[in-house]
Amino acid sequence: MEIYLPIAEMSVHWVFIVGLGLGVGFLSGLFGVGGGFLLTPLLVFYGIPSTVAVGTTLSHVTASSVSGALAQWRKRAVDFKMAGVMVGGGLIGTLFGVWLFAAMRRQGQMDLIVSLSYVVLLGSVGGLMLKESLATLRAARGGVVIPVRPVNRAWIAALPFKMRFRQSRLYLSVLPPIVIGFAVGVLSAVMGVGGGFVVVPAMIYILRMPTNVVLGTSLVQIIGIAMVTTILQATSNYAVDIVLAFFLMIGGVVGAQLGVRAGAKLRGEQLRLLLAVMVLAVALRLAWGLVAHPRDIYSTMLGS
Amino acid sequence: MRRWLLAWMMIAAAAAPAFAAEDIVSGLSQDQIAINSSYTGSDIVVFGTIERPAAPSGRDIVVVVRGPDTDVTVRRRDRVAGIWINRDAAKFSAMPAFYFLASTRPLNAIAPADVLDRYRLGAMHLKPAAITSHHDSLPFRQAAIRQLAAQGLYTDAPGAIDFHSENLFKTVVPIPASVARGQYNVEVYLFRDGDVESVQSTPFFIDQIGLERRLFNFAHNQPLGYGLLTVFMSLLFGWATSVLMRRSG
Repeated sequence: MEIYLPIAEMSVHWVFIVGLGLGVGFLSGLFGVGGGFLLTPLLVFYGIPSTVAVGTTLSHVTASSVSGALAQWRKRAVDFKMAGVMVGGGLIGTLFGVWLFAAMRRQGQMDLIVSLSYVVLLGSVGGLMLKESLATLRAARGGVVIPVRPVNRAWIAALPFKMRFRQSRLYLSVLPPIVIGFAVGVLSAVMGVGGGFVVVPAMIYILRMPTNVVLGTSLVQIIGIAMVTTILQATSNYAVDIVLAFFLMIGGVVGAQLGVRAGAKLRGEQLRLLLAVMVLAVALRLAWGLVAHPRDIYSTMLGS
Repeated sequence: MRRWLLAWMMIAAAAAPAFAAEDIVSGLSQDQIAINSSYTGSDIVVFGTIERPAAPSGRDIVVVVRGPDTDVTVRRRDRVAGIWINRDAAKFSAMPAFYFLASTRPLNAIAPADVLDRYRLGAMHLKPAAITSHHDSLPFRQAAIRQLAAQGLYTDAPGAIDFHSENLFKTVVPIPASVARGQYNVEVYLFRDGDVESVQSTPFFIDQIGLERRLFNFAHNQPLGYGLLTVFMSLLFGWATSVLMRRSG
């Protein structure tokens, strides 16, 4: 049965959309990621207008992050104060990102900017993850422990506007979390991603939060930014398709459960390696789209 | 099908007694297409009859369906530092979002170019006003027509008019799923010896109905409420996932 998407103004087969939600939900459950970085490009490959794909994916990200966040919250592993400060920065970032998004669309450069940011971000994050997980696997085999290289944080400690984050046991300037939140807000508005792959490393290496609160706090912060972005995309770009979101989430709910079960059977290092390979594959596919000779050098857009 | 056949017969029966010149009377299978949740495109049938017919030789029928006018932006990519980037662009104003043309013979065999220009018959005779970053808008216009044709939005169908008898004809207009909403006009032209002898124009409407209509209006009239509803729905789905996971633990 085909369903008509009222905002994308096209009809799609529901099995495909539910299947896509299921697949991405499975990976979310397996790796503990929101899956936006996979869902947005896949929707665009399928033919959903990229504005609608970016605007709608975040509903799916919200849904798949909520269950994880609830689980962490029950374990009291969420620093709400830190998440709140980051969402504050995220709000400004999202406003800027949504404005940038509309400006790029007017210039006809939206697809280029989206593709380029995906290639750069996924390429570098995927590359780092691959390097790290390969090193860990090799070390595990050889029995050598790799020392974590500490990031020089002297300049961060010198920043003003300090605040106490009791849950994270940190006394820290609010500027770094605000800047990180801002960056994630821009990413989520322009790329339709939750930004977990940026937030988690930033919390560990820049903010030096204790690892037990990182996952829960990043999930809560992602939910906050995804909600704000969804509302802004709906109000300023009319780019959120609720019917598309609904069918994606139906698949997502089931897929996430299957993913968590499959994840319990795999080892952490193997999971990270798999995720790195997948992230790099998406980056390569998008990079190929930028450099390969297009089938048609012209593109046509109806409406103003 | 039976409905339009009946209408067709009524039109034929109503034909006035023959004293004046040759004329054309036409009708549509439906005057409205409703886009609902299972809309995947549809067909509309244009049928007509020639009144007080003269000799069939030298006579041609052209059926045109025009969708609502819209701006069309065409961009051309160029290779910059190894990456394909949109560079030159052309913006055409007031081009129909849908254009279907069926004729008894290829258009250039029916009438000279100036007549086709005057009646805007044939996609290349639409001649929309263009704002372009490039000195020549023609390749952009050609590209737009080619791509719209590939999406089923622009159609040129010579020979697609079926005659059921010497003076009764019909043509089937396929309306794709990705069609613009608004008023469409069906024009039926009777050509004799290269000039228009008679025209009849009939409108029909394409619009969303039911839940799709309400959601579209909701999204555009109360975007904040719509956004909040979407967020609420995703929170609900996330919570449901969590409940399911704990239960199956």
